[in-house]
Amino acid sequence: MSQDVTDIQQGFPLFNKSEYQDTFARKRVFEEAHSPEKIEEVFRWTTTEEYKELNFKRQVLGVNPNKVCQPAGAVLCALGFHKTLPYVHGSQGCVAYFRTYFNRHFREPIAAVSDSMTEDAAVFGGQNNIFEGLENARKMYEPEMMAVSTTCMAEIIGDDLNAFITNAKKDGRVPMDFPTPFANTPSFVGSHTNGWDNMLEGILRYFTLFQSAPADDGKRAVNEPQPGRNGKLNIVTGFESYLGNFRVIKRMLKEMGVDYTFLSDPEEVLDTPADGEFRMYAGGTTQAEIKDAPNAIDTLLLQPWHLTKTKKFVQETWNHPVSSIDIPMGLAWTDAFLMKVSELTGKPIPESLEKERGRLIDMMADSHQWLHRKKYSVFGDPDFVTGMCQVLMELGAEPLHVLCQNGSKKWAKDITKLLKDSPYGQDAEVYIGKDLWHLRSLVFSKKPDFLIGNSYGKFIQRDTLHKGKEHEVPLIRLGFPLFDRHHLHRDTTLGYEGAMYILKTLVNAVMERLDQETMIMGKTDYGFDLVR
Amino acid sequence: MAMIRQCAIYGKGGIGKSTTTQNLVAGLAAQGKKIMIVGCDPKADSTRLILHAKAQSTIMQMAADAGTVEDLELDEVLKVGFGGIRCVESGGPEPGVGCAGRGVITAINFLEEEGAYDEELDFVFYDVLGDVVCGGFAMPIRENKAQEIYIVVSGEMMAMYAANNIAKGIVKYATSGKVRLAGLICNSRKTDREAELIEALAERLGTQMIHFVPRDNVVQRAEIRRMTVIEYDPTCKQADEYRALAQKIIDNKKLVIPKPLTMDELEDLLLEFGILDGEDESIVGKTAADEARLAAA
Amino acid sequence: MTMNRQESEKLIQEVLEVYPEATGKQRAKHLLANDPTLQKSNKCIVANKKALPGVMTARGCAYAGSKGVVWGPIKDMVNLSHGPVGCGQLSRGGRRNYVTGYSGITVFTDLNFTSDFQEKDVVFGGDKKLAAIIDEINTLFPLTKGVSIQSECPIGLIGDDIEAVARKKAKDIGKTIVPTRCEGFRGVSQSLGHHVANDTIRDWVLPNRDDQQASIESTPYDVLLTGDYNIGGDAWSSRVLMESIGLRVIGQWSGDGTLSEMELIATLKPKLNLLHCYRSMNYISRHMEEKYGIPWLEYNFFGPTKIAESLRKIAARFDETIQANAERVIAQHQAEMDAIIAKFRPRLEGKRVLLFVGGLRPRHVIGAYEDLGMEVIGTGYEFAHNDDYDRTFKELQDGALIYDDATSFELEAFAERLKPDLIGSGIKEKFVFHKMGIPFRQLHSWDYSGPYHGYDGFAVFARDMDMAINNPCWGKMTAPWKQKAQAVGTGVAEAA
Repeated sequence: MSQDVTDIQQGFPLFNKSEYQDTFARKRVFEEAHSPEKIEEVFRWTTTEEYKELNFKRQVLGVNPNKVCQPAGAVLCALGFHKTLPYVHGSQGCVAYFRTYFNRHFREPIAAVSDSMTEDAAVFGGQNNIFEGLENARKMYEPEMMAVSTTCMAEIIGDDLNAFITNAKKDGRVPMDFPTPFANTPSFVGSHTNGWDNMLEGILRYFTLFQSAPADDGKRAVNEPQPGRNGKLNIVTGFESYLGNFRVIKRMLKEMGVDYTFLSDPEEVLDTPADGEFRMYAGGTTQAEIKDAPNAIDTLLLQPWHLTKTKKFVQETWNHPVSSIDIPMGLAWTDAFLMKVSELTGKPIPESLEKERGRLIDMMADSHQWLHRKKYSVFGDPDFVTGMCQVLMELGAEPLHVLCQNGSKKWAKDITKLLKDSPYGQDAEVYIGKDLWHLRSLVFSKKPDFLIGNSYGKFIQRDTLHKGKEHEVPLIRLGFPLFDRHHLHRDTTLGYEGAMYILKTLVNAVMERLDQETMIMGKTDYGFDLVR
Repeated sequence: MAMIRQCAIYGKGGIGKSTTTQNLVAGLAAQGKKIMIVGCDPKADSTRLILHAKAQSTIMQMAADAGTVEDLELDEVLKVGFGGIRCVESGGPEPGVGCAGRGVITAINFLEEEGAYDEELDFVFYDVLGDVVCGGFAMPIRENKAQEIYIVVSGEMMAMYAANNIAKGIVKYATSGKVRLAGLICNSRKTDREAELIEALAERLGTQMIHFVPRDNVVQRAEIRRMTVIEYDPTCKQADEYRALAQKIIDNKKLVIPKPLTMDELEDLLLEFGILDGEDESIVGKTAADEARLAAA
Repeated sequence: MTMNRQESEKLIQEVLEVYPEATGKQRAKHLLANDPTLQKSNKCIVANKKALPGVMTARGCAYAGSKGVVWGPIKDMVNLSHGPVGCGQLSRGGRRNYVTGYSGITVFTDLNFTSDFQEKDVVFGGDKKLAAIIDEINTLFPLTKGVSIQSECPIGLIGDDIEAVARKKAKDIGKTIVPTRCEGFRGVSQSLGHHVANDTIRDWVLPNRDDQQASIESTPYDVLLTGDYNIGGDAWSSRVLMESIGLRVIGQWSGDGTLSEMELIATLKPKLNLLHCYRSMNYISRHMEEKYGIPWLEYNFFGPTKIAESLRKIAARFDETIQANAERVIAQHQAEMDAIIAKFRPRLEGKRVLLFVGGLRPRHVIGAYEDLGMEVIGTGYEFAHNDDYDRTFKELQDGALIYDDATSFELEAFAERLKPDLIGSGIKEKFVFHKMGIPFRQLHSWDYSGPYHGYDGFAVFARDMDMAINNPCWGKMTAPWKQKAQAVGTGVAEAA
């Protein structure tokens, strides 16, 4: 036990020293640990077909899920509005967790409050909490809007958000005209992507249906929308965790000369500079923009699979067609996106974008031989997984396992068709409602070359390596959340630019792996090429 | 588009809410009104007289069987019975487990999303479990749902106590929205001066006794046959009573924010009508043995 | 320099002005200028009260205290997050309570087990589902030693009877099942979760071997480490130190802990229970003293001064051999510690630190900073009780700020006014202060570093504080063209 002042070691590799390894051995006596042979035997068993079958018989237990709860999505959505404080009605611990979750992904401050409901509120309802909470938060943090969502606690006791918020205003806790859109976001229904959708629908409803503060009779007449009047396009990203995706869509629209409104735009607040000043609020969609949004030409949903409530509202209340598009990931769907924008606005697709497109294809041509028929297991949210499969097949690579825990049956049907329509999707297997412990069994049973997904996938890589290097499935980090690598959230997965980033990431993962395998002197060194 | 009138029926458990609701709804249907009944009680007995059924399959039970509520279709849960009355039951757990209130919230959200509230309807009636026990059971009186509340009551003390409590619940929602108390329906238990008493209670609450439904055994006879009186014997006197109640509800314009009584006021009222004896301070804390000794002395 | 008491009190008053009147009145009771002579805190600071709605508290919930802190680190059991999916997923891996073993086979800490409650579970109750889950765990993870059920909000609200399920399933599968009522809406913070978790150890674990003979022979030098969660390996760097003075550590609660290390207490009855985090494990320590006669002793393994003090205090409870060993170990490390201090102290001397952390750290790390010549000018706890403040006053300088359950607003205001050289707090605070240009270390997770306990840990601690404070980025917040403009401006003013 001694640290060398010139080479201070933290946890790893410090605990590799013999004194620590010895103490671990002494500790095992008191752990009444299983024998190494037994442990290895059971580990091997968990990699078998027999175990896979047992694992897939699982009815009720969740192991390593790949989704979060609704209010987390609601908070992210609310952050995208100008000077808006996400306000969560319910237990305070949830909000502490939401904040830390996004802190760790974006490496940014996340402002959100709860109204700290406790046992008394569970019995008497949370109206008093809303009264005090709205008043305190407005005084302290001076937002121009508070977007209210709910935790499962408030949902179970059945608090009436609309009534409580209105009563708070009548009680003078916040001014009558202070914007307080709200959404019910029960954690035991759907996932974070639904929460995002519900919160956006709540905000749009509040400003374009309820029209500022509800009058005495609860609401005012619908402000008749005039689609097309403002000449803009509304863009709804949905639950979006890549900063670059906000930027690339804006850039492409600017290059086309198309004016736009993002409905939820956290690009600035999730990327404030370190210059001596902390900005709790930055950028974001303004209230004027929301109110004007019904007058846009159309509203495009970039992740249509989880924006169902938004779609319904925009179609029924704003009379927008909500033109059908796929997530603009990869070549073809970016083409389709641009053509749809061009069709809706009458603006031609400029040469700059055509050149960018050509550069992407050039990259595809350069790299195709390394990606051809490589097999990938993909997991994530529905739209991401759909887009990722599309990109893989465009590159001549093959989706093998396609797993989406929060995907619907309709989604599964749709992506199955997408896969079966391509020569590269023939071997793909689609799974919904399954978690990452299921996926572990799948990759042991049928090994892909790589795993594509968020940081949670790293445990699968470790487990496969334990079986032997030849079983290892390396993780390529794409998706949300990304906790164990820095700044990947700044990158881009949409548009031609996003396809370039994905391509670069995929092809270099292949090279990395190949280097690892071919740097064994006297064995595999012949393949350790300088030029590839 | 004509407004759908949405009415919620509350009242103490066992007071005859479901029977009264179904009979009056049958009365409305007999007049050609289009109606949907939403049962909001885990017992799921709000539609059996209309459907001639033991208990209708409930939204929550079917959702649990199917996996989630999203897997259900409206026509699986909505049944049509006597007089074209559409019937749904929210359903819920056995007593003592789970959260029945949440079941009500889920069921009503489902009906809204699936378009059950269609424009042809004249009335929606919510038949709600006993008292407003938690937020979930207040779901039917939230914004954009029931705006008329009828409380079924009788001349018994606990029934009136419950009615007053429900009025308190209504006040909470009335201040933020359009929910109003529309009247007390007295379902007679043949207690002394019953009509007079309920009239008095109604007046104190700022509302009306919309109808006095007398007690008649024909109701039980019809119920054994899982029918409403209106259907079982439309010519009997009791059928007239329900039709009269139905007509009064059609014509009802008296929607008020109630003024619930304090406990003291309620006690005074009960004292006035001899329902409650005045408190005899001298007997407080005396055991039977004490009293026996006193009597002997 | 620390502010004097009047200055601190004035600052507190200024910060309070923003609040609505009633809220300001409440918050005033949680803020204080330190008086090191104070013995009892209950007259001067209010603690362990409900956070006010809407104020952006840093606090978590009872689930975080039970699953996150006490039970989560028990590695050979499945700690099931019972309720909707969020709680377990949002907290997965965040604590950095290190374990080593075979994940998914004998060690389950880095997995996330959830009952993923759906609407139907809420409406119809979750007890049947829970029973089925325990069977599935037993089938798919046969080497697990048991299951702890960590209740999320809905469980208590819908009135599930998890104790009945636990009793029945324990019989069915022959393993320990621990039902924990740590619903997030209960209590005011993590703290209740610690208490609830302690009580479940008392009721569902400790009695399991009360009637059994020891399977391992006890020695006169047996000790138990409690209240160390092995953040970044803290418990290990403490353990080796205990062992180096001749003690035998028979259990770690609960960092890298196991069910056996808990159950063995009844048969081994260690001579002393060494308690690091008083806040989260005082309850079970008191119980074990009462039931088994195991005395407990608080200690502090942050920084060489406190380590030496603690080693002597611990050794004093044993014979002369141990006492001699302690002196030898302290002496052995003297040179190493001198070298660390010689290297880092000149780089850190006089730097002012503001702290806002959890259980024990707001007071325990003060000594380590002082070993490096640094000064703690303000400290606060997220979820302390008054007995924590009783223990804090004497550690802190006169006039230093003390804040209980500080709101993010207060913390930012204090930082802006005091301009500390370093802030030690959590992930929710970290990036706020990065933007403000204030060096920052997460003092919950050790900011992806550690261990910080023991002699090995102090070296890492010193290195980390240095690299945070003296990183070149802090001096570059203002663009050079703006710096120039400012300098010119100043120059003009001076000339005038």
